[in-house]
Amino acid sequence: MLEVVDLTVAYGPVVALHGVSLTVQDASITAVLGANGAGKTTLVRTISGLVRPRAGSVRLDGRELIRLPPEEIARLGIAHVPQGQGVLAELTVDENLRLGGLWRRDRKAQRGALDETYELFPPLAGRRHLTAFSLSGGERQMLSVGRALVARPRLLLLDEPSLGLARRALVQIMGRIKALVTERGLTVLLIEQNAKSALSVADDAIVLHLGNVVAHGPAQKLADEEGLRHAYLGF
Amino acid sequence: MSRFFVLSLNGLTQGAIYAAMALALVMIWRATQVINFAQGAMAMFTTYLALFAIDHGVPYWLAFLVALSSGLILGAIVERVIVRPVESAPPLNVVILTLGLLLFLEALAPMLFGGQIRSFPPAFSIVGLHFGNSQVAFSPFDAFTLGSVLAVMVLLLVLFQKTDLGLRMRAAAFNPDVSRLLGIRVGRMLTLGWSLASLVGALAGVLIAPSLLLYPTFMDQVLVFGFTGAVLGGLDSAVGAVVGGLLMGFALSYVGGYLGSDLETVGALVILIAVLMVRPRGLFSRHRLRQA
Ligand SMILES: Nc1ncnc2c1ncn2[C@@H]1O[C@H](COP(=O)(O)OP(=O)(O)OP(=O)(O)O)[C@@H](O)[C@H]1O
Ligand SMILES: [Mg+2]
Repeated sequence: MLEVVDLTVAYGPVVALHGVSLTVQDASITAVLGANGAGKTTLVRTISGLVRPRAGSVRLDGRELIRLPPEEIARLGIAHVPQGQGVLAELTVDENLRLGGLWRRDRKAQRGALDETYELFPPLAGRRHLTAFSLSGGERQMLSVGRALVARPRLLLLDEPSLGLARRALVQIMGRIKALVTERGLTVLLIEQNAKSALSVADDAIVLHLGNVVAHGPAQKLADEEGLRHAYLGF
Repeated sequence: MSRFFVLSLNGLTQGAIYAAMALALVMIWRATQVINFAQGAMAMFTTYLALFAIDHGVPYWLAFLVALSSGLILGAIVERVIVRPVESAPPLNVVILTLGLLLFLEALAPMLFGGQIRSFPPAFSIVGLHFGNSQVAFSPFDAFTLGSVLAVMVLLLVLFQKTDLGLRMRAAAFNPDVSRLLGIRVGRMLTLGWSLASLVGALAGVLIAPSLLLYPTFMDQVLVFGFTGAVLGGLDSAVGAVVGGLLMGFALSYVGGYLGSDLETVGALVILIAVLMVRPRGLFSRHRLRQA
């Protein structure tokens, strides 16, 4: 279980999160919704250790993550697919994918995870030995998500995975992730611009507005609240 | 034997050493986007340590290992103590610190090892090989120089291209933040990168010391030649560094042979300026067609 308690994050004078709290249950998908600049990216960057909060706590199964460096947080099984820019463009597709699972040092499992990923994303399989530099935007996004899955994480932080992806590819990715949630108990925090599609795959959701949580609860319930939809979700 | 041939052989051997120096600079440039101006001084220092060992009766090969291993350690210390604390500062701060380190080491060396010019023994004879009745301007030590630089380059190539550790090191150099998210201990990778670069520099030091003689500033010109080779090769390309270093070796050997050896440094400067004017990104730098 991931617990975020009273998290306050500021970039100099700009306060991006004002005492945000949320709980993500194991083996579930929680959507994080909100307009541009609401603080969604800040939230996941703080969870994965890239940003130091001013106050508050982030706990994974009771273990405090604040003050741990990002590499150690990743080694606890938290994979973060950053918004855009996540691939190492100078390295090949294969090298990018291998990097996802290197910290596990389990070569056999790694090989298997790599094959699975190529099966899931055929466009990547054909470009295995090309640099990620040569990939299209959507292919890069596949690579970024695929690399996170190679790590076989227990918690997956997805920051707008739909960016640049065709609908078909997105449906495929989300299908795979759903399967991992039910089969392997994967826990997911999903940031999405498209609230409607996010709410359709998520179990729970929170809505951020200017760094505050303005709504949270089961995804279906949020989707049914007309006032909320109009005010914050735009559908 | 023709003069041109003799100069070419000499250029090849010298070039191998400049290539090692250039490679050391490029490794650090790629890992931390810093030109380590102390690279030469660090190599001078490790060469002195080897000579110190020899003075105390240590056999040559052991002293050779002393130079290389103290290079590894010195590189790690420099990264941890000097570079790490200013990691997030603008690169210029680090560059200024490496210049400070250069001055420090060149001041420290005469205090520890004495200021007089010393000779440094070669591993093998420096007398040209004989083929039948004719002698060529290529000695066993020249062969050793070429061979050991080549060996180190092949080992580095295998490390970086074929091993998981090398993959981690490259990732950490390209994008530290994303690498951290992948569980790579970036700090360790940078330390290791400085260590290995410093090892390559240390190798250049012991290889060139027999022909230059050893004194606290003896590596300064080697650094300049290596730096020019690195810029010629594009600064971010390991292959470029090697080719650039070799080209420098040939060019300076011809300049020295045909125009006079006191013109070598001027020659390097001319090459540096020419590269910066004609092709500032060097011969081998990766040209980015698309933005990442
Ligand atoms: N590195 C930074 N330095 C200063 N301010 C920042 C930085 N990153 C984000 N901010 C500010 O923090 C606030 C929240 O940004 P954040 O990136 O978390 O929003 P977001 O919800 O992810 O937006 P988007 O949907 O556009 O990705 C914004 O006001 C933004 O301007
Ligand atoms: Mg964002």
